[in-house]
Amino acid sequence: MKPTPPPEDPIRPHVFDGIQEYDKRLPNWWLNTLYATIIFWVGYWAYYEWFHIGESGTQTVAAEMARIEAERLSAVKLDDASLWQMSRNAAFVAAGKAVYDANCAACHLPSLRGKAESPVAIGNNLTDTVWVHGGRPVEIHDLIGKGVLAKGMPTWGPVLGAKKISEVTAFILSHHREGEPIVAAPAP
Amino acid sequence: MSDRKIILEFNDKVVRQFLLATILWGIVGMLVGVLVAAQLNFWQLNFGREWLSFGRLRPLHTNAVIFAFVGNMMFAGIYYSTQRLVKARLASDFLSALHFWGWQAIIVAAAITLPLGLTRGKEYAELIWPINIAVAFIWVVFAVNFFWTLARRREPALYVAIWFYIATIITVAMLYIVNHLSLPTSLTHSYPVFGGVQDALVQWWYGHNAVAFFLTTPILGIMYYFLPKAAERPVYSYRLSVIHFWSLVFVYIWAGPHHLLNTALPDWLQTLGMTFSLMLWAPSWGGMLNGLLTLRGAWHKLRTDPVLKFYAAGVTFYGMVTFEGPLLSIRSVNALAHYTDWIIGHVHAGALGWNGFMAAGMIYWLLPRLWNRPLHSVALANLHFWIGTVGILLYVAAMWTSGITQGLMLNATAEHGTVLAYPNFLDTLNTIRPLMLMRVIGGGLYLTGFLLLAWNVWQTVRGAQPVNGTVEVFADDGAASSESGATRLGELATFFNPPVIFSILGISFACAWMFGGDAIGMAGLVGLMLCVILAYAHFESRGKAWAGWYERLLVNTAPFTVLTFIAVAVGGLIQIVPAALSHRAANLEDRRQIPYTPLELAGRDLYLREGCYTCHTQMIRTLVPDVLRYGDYSRLGESIYDFPFQWGSKRNGPDLARIGGKYPHVWHLRHLEDPRSVAVGSNMPAYAAMLAHDTDVAALPAKLAVQRTLGVPYPNWTPGQIASRVAEQSKAIAADLRTAGAYVAPEKEIVALIAYLQSLGKFEKVGAADKAPAADK
Repeated sequence: MKPTPPPEDPIRPHVFDGIQEYDKRLPNWWLNTLYATIIFWVGYWAYYEWFHIGESGTQTVAAEMARIEAERLSAVKLDDASLWQMSRNAAFVAAGKAVYDANCAACHLPSLRGKAESPVAIGNNLTDTVWVHGGRPVEIHDLIGKGVLAKGMPTWGPVLGAKKISEVTAFILSHHREGEPIVAAPAP
Repeated sequence: MSDRKIILEFNDKVVRQFLLATILWGIVGMLVGVLVAAQLNFWQLNFGREWLSFGRLRPLHTNAVIFAFVGNMMFAGIYYSTQRLVKARLASDFLSALHFWGWQAIIVAAAITLPLGLTRGKEYAELIWPINIAVAFIWVVFAVNFFWTLARRREPALYVAIWFYIATIITVAMLYIVNHLSLPTSLTHSYPVFGGVQDALVQWWYGHNAVAFFLTTPILGIMYYFLPKAAERPVYSYRLSVIHFWSLVFVYIWAGPHHLLNTALPDWLQTLGMTFSLMLWAPSWGGMLNGLLTLRGAWHKLRTDPVLKFYAAGVTFYGMVTFEGPLLSIRSVNALAHYTDWIIGHVHAGALGWNGFMAAGMIYWLLPRLWNRPLHSVALANLHFWIGTVGILLYVAAMWTSGITQGLMLNATAEHGTVLAYPNFLDTLNTIRPLMLMRVIGGGLYLTGFLLLAWNVWQTVRGAQPVNGTVEVFADDGAASSESGATRLGELATFFNPPVIFSILGISFACAWMFGGDAIGMAGLVGLMLCVILAYAHFESRGKAWAGWYERLLVNTAPFTVLTFIAVAVGGLIQIVPAALSHRAANLEDRRQIPYTPLELAGRDLYLREGCYTCHTQMIRTLVPDVLRYGDYSRLGESIYDFPFQWGSKRNGPDLARIGGKYPHVWHLRHLEDPRSVAVGSNMPAYAAMLAHDTDVAALPAKLAVQRTLGVPYPNWTPGQIASRVAEQSKAIAADLRTAGAYVAPEKEIVALIAYLQSLGKFEKVGAADKAPAADK
């Protein structure tokens, strides 16, 4: 016995050159795909173009290239020029700020202005052009490493390690311009 | 109305002509394709002839396949099906003949001018301006012939195939005209009126939608006629036709910027391009579903009927390609796939699988009906199907593997991501060579299959009697009556009805949300949501009114056409007009290109003539591997004086955006003369002929005059001043070459090309103090 065929769907009355048309429902999965992509558009636009939460391509590439440059700079021999270059590298300076805030801000204050801002501060002002222990980048770098125990500046070298000292030097230098005068001052 | 019946004879002569032209140009287009594919592996295959070099033949291949092969196929299918769907003979035998012969003349002109190096330098828009005018004219002839036929129809309602034909005709006209706006400098040369980012936007609005409205919508229309005819089954769903037609034509236009992802194109346009590409997935699959599900109840016929085999496979490839497209439009996927062979595989799955197989199915089905003789050999047609399928699969699999392999190698880094793993581009090229060879074999198999079709057609047609189709109609059941009286849709009823009002409101709110400030944006989003809810509620309660209005629209050609035009025009207006109207300074970012010297401009036109853009991009994307390989990412301002833009779409060789100054002149000379002398393993053609030809300095005054008109800040030099500037710069380059031990006369083309290459990447900083320089107004 033949199985009974399922009832045919309604066919539209019109025939075009012998072609007939059913008028079946749209498949749910198809409709849901359409809706999902529309909702995705709303969400994606809001994320990137409305609230600007997502990074733009230029922001991503700038951050990543800064990281790559920082990595390369860590490998080069330290001299004034390379330290100045580090001070212009956003990734380096950001890392240096973190080191500074955790270790140096207690004495030199978060503003880096130390005694110039508050009489009770222990550390010297790091934002002006007056340097007690030498203001060339390499001198600053070495001073942080060795410290000035007599004045209360600890020896940071073994504590922070070479990379972090370079970073924090870059952070301090980022408050200065290359070529600005260095005024030597006696210790107060 | 009398009830006297007459027999109406269709104009099937023009269908037969277009059909045979399809086969002829299909063979030519595919043959050139196989040749250029082979040249990528074996550079010697240009036999040292300039007119056979890859850069000149690749445009010939793409133009031949798109406009000659698919174009003729489309015209054959549209003319055959439309006459039957509207029960009217084509309105004018003269226009039909003019359309056919005009189109063939255009193709012949293209086949001559492209190998000669006469080009506009824009992909799929290479033909020179006199041919552009001819194309536009013949397209108008086609449109008049088509709409005139609709006006004389004896079938009041428009079938879904006709909807797609209407969308095709008006949209291609719009795209073609805008992207070909040019200012001539001579009879064979012109500069496009758009430059830099504006040109990029217009080009990909055109390029992407040429795929949409030249390679997709007409073929969907053809599918809606020929597939149910061959399967002898009803179309699966009318309402799916309605929804997927309108969503497809509306959404497609917006997706163009997905060809420019991660470039200097403003982010909001990239986001639109990506998200609308994803939204295109379901509308495209609506067409695939209506095709495949129409075959329900006819699948058993596939065993014996080659026609249905081709259709089933063609529609399946369409579904695959329209899934792959949105996938490739996702920014991160695109970062890997763009400029690689994956894209080549993608377009060929469409061109070979969808267009080629739909053409083959249509040809095999039409032959017995147009020549009144059974197909010479069904077995041969089946063989064609299997050879073709294996060919496509080899081709596409090779390109997927090749594209992903090269993309991964180009993006690979080492040492904590600080250096490229494969700094030499040629390493990545030579890795994919076996896959490129596999592509040649796949393409060759596909061509073999198509040659079998040609042989089969020849054997069927030879000595056969052409026969024209007929239909019995009432004698004076004429045209005018079909759009008169109660069914006529006036302007008011065209626009003031629920579907149109809700659509316009929804789009307006969406635009307010996207482009308004915080307050307007929020209002737009709320409005959009309300609009969707209201429309849904209205449709649920009054859906019959929507359906009734649409039935009325279907018997009114002009309102249908106007609404279709509005639907396709919106996306372009919103994306292109702001960029086109905004002051150039807004498109600068922080850099401005330094205008080319006259010699460099001459060199640039040589770069275009040789089709260098078919293999070299000039766009360093905002991606780390791009920046590591080619230098700082490209800014908008660095190409504002580029008419046309040269961002490119494929890297068979490295990017050239910052090639200037990277190598000495003599390196370029050696490299162009014999690429392998300095780049071992390169597949670049040699351009030794440029050492023999003289630069066309006489053409420069007209070129500079047009560039001035377009806004490039050239002083008003006399021809003599231009010539002396050219002489000065070319002599300096020749002198430098001489000290490096290479003797070249300064007036040779190679010197101009070197001057151009060395100028790439030159810019001046645009600071805050220097916001609106006079040169830029």
